[in-house]
Amino acid sequence: MTHTIGRMSRRHLLAGSSAALIMAGAGSRAKASEPEKPAEIIVRAWGGSWVDSLKAGVSDPFTKLTGIGVRHDLTEDNEIRPKVWAAVDQGRVPPIHINWDTTTNATKSALRGITVDLSDLPNLKNAMETAKPVGLDGFPIVNTYGYVYVLAYRPEAFPNGAPKSWKELLDPRLKGRVAFYNDGIGMHFPAQVAGGGKLEDIPSNMAPAWEFIKQLKTQSPLLGEDPDFTTWFQKGEIDAACTISTNAREAKKNGINVAWTVPEEGCKYDTDGFWIPKGLPANEEYWAKQYINLALSVESQQIWLDGLGLPGVIPGVKPPAGLMGDPSYPTTPEDFKHLIRIPGKVQVENESEWFATFKSIMQG
Amino acid sequence: MLEETQSSAAAVGAPAHAPPTVRVREVSMDFGTGSKAVDRASFDLSLGRFLTILGPSGSGKTTLLRMIAGFQRPTSGHILIGGKPVDAVPPDRRSIGMVFQKLALFPHMTAAENIAFPLKMRRFDPAFIPTRVRRFLELVRLDGYGNRRIHELSGGQQQRIAIARALVFEPALLLLDEPLAALDRKLREEMQLEFRRIQKELGVTTINVTHDQREALVVSDEIIIMDGGFIHQHASPALMYRSPADEFVARFIGVSSLIEGTATVGGLMLAGVTLAGSLSGSLQPGMAARGVVRAEQVRIARPEVSLAGCETVLLGTIADVIFEGERLLYVVEVPALSQNILVYHHDPESAAVFATDAPVSLGWRARDMIVFEARP
Amino acid sequence: MPPSIKARYPLTWRVMDALEWLADRLWPRSMSRHTGWLLIAPSLIIVGSLVVGMIEIADTSLRTLDTATFRMSESYSLANYQKLATSDVYLTVAWRSLLGAVLTTALTLILAFPYAYIMVRTRSAAARKALLICLFLPFFIGQVVRAYGWLIILGNDGIINQATGLIGLDPHRFLFNFPAVVFGLVQYMLPFAVLMLAPALTAIPEEVETAAKSLGASWPRTMRHVVLPMARPGLIGAGLVVLTLSLTDFAMPAMLGGGSQDFIANAIYDQFFRTSDAGLGAALTLLLVMGGTFLVGVVLSVFGAGTLAAGRRA
Repeated sequence: MTHTIGRMSRRHLLAGSSAALIMAGAGSRAKASEPEKPAEIIVRAWGGSWVDSLKAGVSDPFTKLTGIGVRHDLTEDNEIRPKVWAAVDQGRVPPIHINWDTTTNATKSALRGITVDLSDLPNLKNAMETAKPVGLDGFPIVNTYGYVYVLAYRPEAFPNGAPKSWKELLDPRLKGRVAFYNDGIGMHFPAQVAGGGKLEDIPSNMAPAWEFIKQLKTQSPLLGEDPDFTTWFQKGEIDAACTISTNAREAKKNGINVAWTVPEEGCKYDTDGFWIPKGLPANEEYWAKQYINLALSVESQQIWLDGLGLPGVIPGVKPPAGLMGDPSYPTTPEDFKHLIRIPGKVQVENESEWFATFKSIMQG
Repeated sequence: MLEETQSSAAAVGAPAHAPPTVRVREVSMDFGTGSKAVDRASFDLSLGRFLTILGPSGSGKTTLLRMIAGFQRPTSGHILIGGKPVDAVPPDRRSIGMVFQKLALFPHMTAAENIAFPLKMRRFDPAFIPTRVRRFLELVRLDGYGNRRIHELSGGQQQRIAIARALVFEPALLLLDEPLAALDRKLREEMQLEFRRIQKELGVTTINVTHDQREALVVSDEIIIMDGGFIHQHASPALMYRSPADEFVARFIGVSSLIEGTATVGGLMLAGVTLAGSLSGSLQPGMAARGVVRAEQVRIARPEVSLAGCETVLLGTIADVIFEGERLLYVVEVPALSQNILVYHHDPESAAVFATDAPVSLGWRARDMIVFEARP
Repeated sequence: MPPSIKARYPLTWRVMDALEWLADRLWPRSMSRHTGWLLIAPSLIIVGSLVVGMIEIADTSLRTLDTATFRMSESYSLANYQKLATSDVYLTVAWRSLLGAVLTTALTLILAFPYAYIMVRTRSAAARKALLICLFLPFFIGQVVRAYGWLIILGNDGIINQATGLIGLDPHRFLFNFPAVVFGLVQYMLPFAVLMLAPALTAIPEEVETAAKSLGASWPRTMRHVVLPMARPGLIGAGLVVLTLSLTDFAMPAMLGGGSQDFIANAIYDQFFRTSDAGLGAALTLLLVMGGTFLVGVVLSVFGAGTLAAGRRA
């Protein structure tokens, strides 16, 4: 059944541009001898609006195009990683085909050497420079969009307009009303600037960052993870937070008055990406690559990233309504001037230290 | 102070003119189950006396005891101890020592600690406690056992600790809630005498509750018989045995035979036979009545022997002979009465004389059969 | 007509006969003196695999993470333990776990005791049933769901703050601090403690309390000198269960602590899953196991094993 539908769909779509895209380059070779199709592939994803957007933009079109079903595994990214590592180490078939991961965490798997090289994906030819992970050889992972750890805030709490500096979070009236990620991710680099240090000194001298974070600690901040920020804004627990704009946007979609800004010290810019674990049967690895290739098409990026409100890595994707010129949606070199990018390799090598230092300040 | 008054009180003994230590006035208890558990019970108990409340289970004897102890408040009526009303006094403020059915010793304390417990709770001078504890261990003949844990003591030793604990603070009143019920017969009889000895030694006023008539007769100065919440009789053991106030008492104390009939002048009439007996209380001739005759009051002899002095003489046949050790119980079938009469014989050798199926003659004196009004 | 032999006995008897026959074939009578081993075999297997796991963890704790390859070192070193010994944050977290567990145990026992006492002693069957239902209801609701419930009740926008808002008070922050974590743990542990205490209290004859009263002890002194000492085995058993469960808890600090009230379990999670440093995580795990075991050992040697020492006389 599935196969029939698949063939029919493909024949139907061959005339269209989507088919041309997915099958371009390496794909055209495959036309003659296409590997056997698995019944489904498993993609690990984040829940809520994250997986909904992925399904609409990538998974559904992929199934339509190939007849291969897509199952979304919503295991925490942190918790799937040890499982995949163990499977690859022990020569077992990994539990997922594709991991949708933060570039930082994906880099760990790449450094461990358990990811499949994705350099031959045809759509990478069109991709912007941000698609390539910094500091790694080739494409052991592919970045699919970028995001900014903005300063999200409730305008009612800032009657004088958007906060211009991260230092405004030290205002005593905000005591107990600010929130950060519980490992401090997103805050380390702006704190380095706000604390009077230089970004070039990362990672060798981060004393200014820790000095500033110690000051933040006196504000008794809440510490959480992605969904917490949305909840806290909605429940009126916080007035300001350093978080990915998507979480603030989620609260805004639910009718809460939340805005966000990039203060003068800048904001951390980072990317998420896809990777494929080694050890899959060749045919399944082939179709997993096709899935990622499709995710790098303009059409898929348009639908998927409209849902997330984040800038993609393929030229030609139009910003969703209301995000044109938004600081959380950088597109021009001018936009990127205020954003802080630190190579993934530097991050993963030092992350453990940074997390521990942040924790020791916050848990003290 | 408490110490002094109680010691002196104990030393005085029990003069007949002393005011009652316990005074129970019209006390009722209604649990709302239809009939009252205790119905207008009244009695007085003088200093140093040993009273047993005897009755079958469900007679209200335990409820009455618990009301005296203060664990239950009477629905109506008053209780006075030492002349003072105690209706509003909680159990821990009443000067009452109590020994419980399951002893309720504290397993986490040693024997000595158990005995010291009421002294500590009643804030006796700590310096004096060890001496007092030792004295009471001696009293119950357990000196040297003070450091034993409760589970290291035998059943009888536990009984002694329980009574020492209940008496060590020299309460005005000692209550015994069937503490001997669970013991085997030999130990029970030994402890009965022991209780009696200790009670006499200290002269403490005591109320004992039991369903064992033998125990009641052995240990008590006075007995109260209760049934259905009523006090049937309050008398000394001898008087109660000799002159039961009603049919219930007569049946409950001792072993008796019951004969149904109609009251007549000088006895009981049935099926054309008149049996000599004495009418009790308000019984009028012609009323439905029951004659009660105790097994040991019935004389037994060969049919040809005349039973001199017996107003009633009947012929019968031995239906069964039960050997009880120090005595024999004959079950004699009497055709004239169409029933069996029980006879105690205190000469076990007579078993050879009266074998089963042997014809005998029975007899009793008029004063030995009491005729009561027949209650339904 | 006489019934046939087969119909003479109930079906269950014949099933039992068949099972006995089968058991005899599988485990012949000649093996019967080894039957004890057969019966404890499952527990031995479970304990055995735990031991293997602990050895594995001990091994991992001696290896360090190489962040260039994200693999554990081949060589052994004490680096992880050194890190734990010299870092303030783990000392803080360990101290917080311990303090939280001890506080939780004390508060839980204080609250569970009267609950269990009333449940055991009440004369009203309806009241006992109601107390039992209230006790078992939380078992059907997971720990996480309950924590969410407290977020709803105690949040700045929660029921309580809405109520106090009606009388003009500013919202008060109940959540995301140490007391909130202890509060969450206490309400989570309460049913366990009551369930452990109830049998111990049932074992105390009511007559003992009556006796204490007749001997001159007021109700509070009866509780202190008689009921509490006699309930000691139950209190120790319940205390040990609550202590170990709280010491190793993850969800309550994570959800009600607002991210800044980590217990050791949260620190272990971070090492294993967030920073992928299994070596440091294993070292922390081992310290938690040893610390917890030491604590239980101290309690056992000071107070005895309570109801956990089956068959031993008090």
